[in-house]
Amino acid sequence: MENNLKTKLQFWPTVPAILIFIFIPVTSFSSNIQLSASVDKNQLTIEDSIELSIKISGVRNPPIPNLPPLTDFKVKSAGTQSSTQIFNSDMQVSTTHKYLLTPKIDGNFIIGPVIMDLAGSKYQSDPILVTVKKPNPIKPNENKLVYTETSISKKNPYINEQVVYTFKLFRKTEARNLNLSMPYDESFFRKENLGKAKRYSRVINGIAYDVDEVSIALFPIKIGKSTIPPSMMELDLINRTQTNRQRDSFARFFNDPFFGRTTQSKHKVFSTKPIKLESKPLPKKGKPREFKNLVGQFSITSTVGKESFDSGDTTTLTVTVSGIGNVMDVTLTNLNLGDQFKIYPDQPILKKSIHGNQIGGEKIFKFALVPFTTGKQTIPSISLNYFDPDKNRYSSISTNPIRLTIKPGTRTENLNLVQSKTAPTQQKGSTVAILARDILPIHTRVDDFKRVRFDQSQRMVYMIWIIFPIIIYLIAAGYIRYNHKMNEDMSYSRRQVAHRKAIKKLNQLSVSNPEPKDSVRELSQIIREYIGDKLNLQGTAFTSKEVGERLNKNIFTDDKIFAIKKLLEKIESIQYMPVVVHKNHCLIDETTELLISLEE
Amino acid sequence: MKIKRNFVFWAILFTTLISTSRVEAQKNDISSQVTLANELYHEKNYQAAADIFEKLIDQGETNGFLYYNLGNTYMRLGNTGNAILYYLRSQLLLPRNENLDANLRYAINQTQDQLSPSRGGLIHSLFFWVDSINLIEHFEILILFNIIFWCICIGSLYYRKSPWKSLKKISLAILLLAFFSTGLKYYLLSEHKIGVIMGKKVDVKSDRNIQNVTLFELHEGAIITVNQEDNEWAHILVSTDKSGWVPIESIAY
Repeated sequence: MENNLKTKLQFWPTVPAILIFIFIPVTSFSSNIQLSASVDKNQLTIEDSIELSIKISGVRNPPIPNLPPLTDFKVKSAGTQSSTQIFNSDMQVSTTHKYLLTPKIDGNFIIGPVIMDLAGSKYQSDPILVTVKKPNPIKPNENKLVYTETSISKKNPYINEQVVYTFKLFRKTEARNLNLSMPYDESFFRKENLGKAKRYSRVINGIAYDVDEVSIALFPIKIGKSTIPPSMMELDLINRTQTNRQRDSFARFFNDPFFGRTTQSKHKVFSTKPIKLESKPLPKKGKPREFKNLVGQFSITSTVGKESFDSGDTTTLTVTVSGIGNVMDVTLTNLNLGDQFKIYPDQPILKKSIHGNQIGGEKIFKFALVPFTTGKQTIPSISLNYFDPDKNRYSSISTNPIRLTIKPGTRTENLNLVQSKTAPTQQKGSTVAILARDILPIHTRVDDFKRVRFDQSQRMVYMIWIIFPIIIYLIAAGYIRYNHKMNEDMSYSRRQVAHRKAIKKLNQLSVSNPEPKDSVRELSQIIREYIGDKLNLQGTAFTSKEVGERLNKNIFTDDKIFAIKKLLEKIESIQYMPVVVHKNHCLIDETTELLISLEE
Repeated sequence: MKIKRNFVFWAILFTTLISTSRVEAQKNDISSQVTLANELYHEKNYQAAADIFEKLIDQGETNGFLYYNLGNTYMRLGNTGNAILYYLRSQLLLPRNENLDANLRYAINQTQDQLSPSRGGLIHSLFFWVDSINLIEHFEILILFNIIFWCICIGSLYYRKSPWKSLKKISLAILLLAFFSTGLKYYLLSEHKIGVIMGKKVDVKSDRNIQNVTLFELHEGAIITVNQEDNEWAHILVSTDKSGWVPIESIAY
């Protein structure tokens, strides 16, 4: 019970401590910061590599320490490890940076002190002495686990002659992470790849080796001596060892090496010896004038798309040069076919291929030929010169002459074939061969040759067409809104029609010529209706005094109100006179003028 | 006063008739010229055909088929640079003509550099139809949608129903699209000048002087974009990483 309580008391301060140290991202220091550097071995061969470990303890998230100059080594980072350990509430933190050092040369070297600058203080490790020895000479019969070898097909090649440079890795054990570097002098050679690495088994002195073979083709482009530098193969050798866990029931049950073996990987670097070679010039004796540095074994063929065609039509001449060697250098730029044809060369197509362990291929040249004249024509033979290094002499190859029949042209332009927008040149499975390509004919429908105008006046027309609908819309919108308001807003509608209605009635009154008393009554009614419509008043039973009061509140000016009142009083007085002497027309005109002045 | 008004009326009528008959006569003349040039082309007298087509163009005739026929004539004459130039001009007016597309591709294949007109960019991807419609068609579409939109506006004011309002929104969206599309086309035609290298081999210089460094070479028929003109030099662009200066007489656009 007491023990349990003690554990609990230790547990509670530990948890916040862990959380603080994990989640606070700042570098925290402790009093005893230590920096140490160590290597996994200090004596090795040039084929091996050293693992340099730099351990920084007593600080979290330390800066990356500065490595000393390591010019004699190839340095590769092998990762960083951090660890935190807690013993009885005491926390120990450490960070380890690992580097893989691969020696470039043999000798004794000192790995200088590793320096770390932390908050103004400098920490440094002790220097380490390392001895790199030469590897034991490689002899296949020595039963070595892994060894490499390089070879070239010819040590004294001609310029532009293909030299096959081969690297072989012989191994009896499993290897992973293979990384091969096959450097060459780019100013002296042109390189062509010879495909992927080959893997096969070979028995040497009764011992079976797995062989990985990589070849490249090098073409010397200069005359003289050159050295192919050593090739380097970096790999991890896998060593599987049987452990005591063989007794383990799991391993016995599954009988699987996975459960009973441990694997160890060892990083190794193998380098080969440099190879010297000397390229020589091509012999001057027998060198043709048209020779264009073609070295190898080649053949040439030529075909035409069609041998008989109409004048103005085209045919395609295809010249194929194939063989082993620098086929990529073949040129047929100045094709001499006399003055019989207009020649349109196409871009040549190069197809590389590997023949045994050498590069070759074919280069296809296409020319569209347009004959200048009709009748029987001959495409002369096309010749090509090359140097055969196996026979040690120059050779000349040529195509057979091809006879063509060119018929006089017909009225319509004949079409051979035209590249469609997306269709491939030949349909899959189709037996129709494409013979030649040509342009499509001219357009002959004269009606289509109308002038297309996009000048200032045309632009003005477009602008008018853009603006015109807007104007129409504005007019229509005004009219529609007016109509809607007339239908929906009664007061507005009455106000709008008041004047028109009054004038119309006045006109009718003047034409009808009724009795004077009736005429005056009618006149009074028209004015009252007008005012009723204008002010949206119900009925017409209001006196001239009331009219004055109501109009005051609204839109009319005082003089106009006075004029209305005066007219209404006048009409009323006439209306109630025993004998009417006033002329109707004068009164109607006066009313009309008043209504017009009210509308202004 | 009445006599004067009559005089004006007859004068306008006479002028209109004269001009109409002149336009008609001119049209007939162009048709006969085109027919003659086509005849000469079929008779394989390409140079004479080219002369007639060129003369018509110099007279101000603008027609996609005229450019196309001249492009074909130049192809027959082996002048790939001029052929591509006229095919490109024709393409501005006939963007969906398959014969033209095929011949332009054929002509480009005959050139050493095999450069196609530059396409691409986000704007081109968004307004993918711009290249397939010429500027005049763009304006016609814009006018059509403009009329439709304002008619729908009038309808929606009159009927005041929600389907009309939806229709109004849709037509406005289409109108705006047509408007931007037309603006883009106009901008591309006025600012994005596509040219053709006319010289057999042209050195592209780093600056406006023959003594400057030659950055790369272009050959007859190579299609380029003309960025800027400066007296006798033009700044051209082949791709985003290839640009430089060439003498202005070595290009046409």
